[in-house]
Amino acid sequence: MEPVIKMKDVWKRYNMGKAGGLTVLKEINLDVKQGEFVAITGHSGSGKSTIMHLLGALDTPSYGNIYLKGKNVKELSEDSLALLRGKTIGFIFQQFNLLPTFSALDNVMIAMEIVNTPDKEARVKAMNLLILVGLGERAHHKPTELSGGEQQRVAIARALANDPEIIIADEPTGNLDSQTGKFVMDFLRSLNKKGKTIVFVTHELELAKYASRTIYVKDGKIEKEVYNKRRLK
Amino acid sequence: MKLSKSFRIALNIIAHSKIRSWLTIIGIIIGIAAIVSILSIGAGAQKTLEQNLNSLSADIITISPGFSRAMGAEAGFRGGGDIGGGPGISQGTSGSSSPKNLTTTDVTLLKGIANIAQIMGTVSGSTNSTYLGKTGKVSVDGVDPAVWRNIVTTDLKSGRYLSQGDTNVVVIGSRVANSTFNNIQVNQQITIGGQTFVIVGILKESGGSDDSRVFMPIKNAVNILEDKSSKNFDSIVVKVKNISQTDDTIAQITSKLMLSHGILQSSKVDFSVTSMKAMQESVSTTLNSMSIFLSAIAAISLIVGAIGIMNSTFTSVLEKTREIGILKAIGARNKDILAIFLFNSAIIGFIGGVLGISFGIIASGFISELAGTSTTGGMMGRFLSFTYVSPYLIIGVFLLSISVGLLSGAIPAYRASRLRPVDALRYE
Repeated sequence: MEPVIKMKDVWKRYNMGKAGGLTVLKEINLDVKQGEFVAITGHSGSGKSTIMHLLGALDTPSYGNIYLKGKNVKELSEDSLALLRGKTIGFIFQQFNLLPTFSALDNVMIAMEIVNTPDKEARVKAMNLLILVGLGERAHHKPTELSGGEQQRVAIARALANDPEIIIADEPTGNLDSQTGKFVMDFLRSLNKKGKTIVFVTHELELAKYASRTIYVKDGKIEKEVYNKRRLK
Repeated sequence: MKLSKSFRIALNIIAHSKIRSWLTIIGIIIGIAAIVSILSIGAGAQKTLEQNLNSLSADIITISPGFSRAMGAEAGFRGGGDIGGGPGISQGTSGSSSPKNLTTTDVTLLKGIANIAQIMGTVSGSTNSTYLGKTGKVSVDGVDPAVWRNIVTTDLKSGRYLSQGDTNVVVIGSRVANSTFNNIQVNQQITIGGQTFVIVGILKESGGSDDSRVFMPIKNAVNILEDKSSKNFDSIVVKVKNISQTDDTIAQITSKLMLSHGILQSSKVDFSVTSMKAMQESVSTTLNSMSIFLSAIAAISLIVGAIGIMNSTFTSVLEKTREIGILKAIGARNKDILAIFLFNSAIIGFIGGVLGISFGIIASGFISELAGTSTTGGMMGRFLSFTYVSPYLIIGVFLLSISVGLLSGAIPAYRASRLRPVDALRYE
């Protein structure tokens, strides 16, 4: 079966002007199959977040190719990339990244409205998603009126808004207490069980145990891959 | 993303940066208000001028004492009405300060020019008048009744024009009848310069200076106006037979008068000859130049406003960089981001335009009110006292305001749209 995500000999290098260049990823080869639950882990500065940005089509590689559902990201137009991000991928960030002037409901709705879902349909669906993450009663609250855990749950609802095949999460529990963090990870696992492909970045080895496969990144290279036989249930 | 959603996000951005948005909008308001008020005052002055000049005949030539290349008529043409449309009660001093070098001899001499159909000398000035205990100053024109009725262009509202042989009778303008003398009627008596006159005719409102003048036989005028004589005139008014030969007639008049006055060099002439057509062109050109000059000054303030919009939009883009990254991460296209920030600046232009136009209309009304009540404004004051805000001006300035908003927001909006999602998300 063709992988939903494929990184083939991917390099990422930043031009630092007179200081020369900085290579943050080298020779990355990675396949993620449909329905996989993959953790990418490594020390700070190892390049794991850069991998996540590339996987989510938020950035493009300096060299090599990334294929999302068989499409080479480099060959897609800006509009096609935007559509891919909107419909195929759901993002969950460590900083939540909610729109601060929007209510929780609007934050979820906007993801659907961007891909032209009719307003009424988007509103009903957004409300259902907020209820699903336990925030039905806080739908009209702004992010500043919500706790960190609640904000992350809104972000999860937003990530699911367009029913994407792939969920990409960058340190999704990084700003949460352990109890809320566990809720988030359990939720991701439940999504995976429903068939979603999940790739998440974490520096906590304990959290990586939720995944079926853990990719260890060190100094911009994949150091090793480990299939977790004893996943956290 | 639908445009309506981009619009709502743009509104949201403005609503959440109220102070900055209002400061930007104020910049546009000032620019637009300045343009509207200047152009409406300019248009009003132009309209007033046209109205006044249209009340004159193109076949009239005026000869005034003294030499004035630019405004020969200013020296004292009072025959068929002149520019200005002054108030019913004159603000000037009694009599004319110009040298009295136009005489009956000149009139007799000019009668020999073939293209001249009618000619008369006039005296003019202002003096006190009384009616039913109310006293005020009126502008008086002493004319040759037989000639004047062929030159005057304002129709009668009631009564008759002056006739040959008339004495101690007057024809008055509409404003004199209605305002100065409280709706006085024909056959009523008024006292002017200490003498009693019977009103034999009241002119219709013309919009010109005839409205605020009192016409009487020259023999009566010289008695009531100080320092006047029936042999020395404040102006000579000529009506030509063939308008196409006006320039040639002016040349003949000039030549004959130079000869009569013993002047050999044209640079030393002691009179000026002005045709209505030339005056219209001259004043119109001056007004147009003034309007363009003032509009250019107003445009500078609009440019400053535009820079304000650009600055505000750049600041918005900076402030919203992370949110731009979020929107792009969840599927927004470059054109969606572009639309949001273009709407943002267009809304500022729209609000600035609507308020600027409103304030501009109010400001022009205020200036017009001030000029109308001013006693020192002179001719310019009278012009400023009329403003004209045309629908085209409103539509044009409104579109200009939105265009300024869009154009000044274009560069920051474009830059926002080109931000890479990963860079925008990293922005702190």
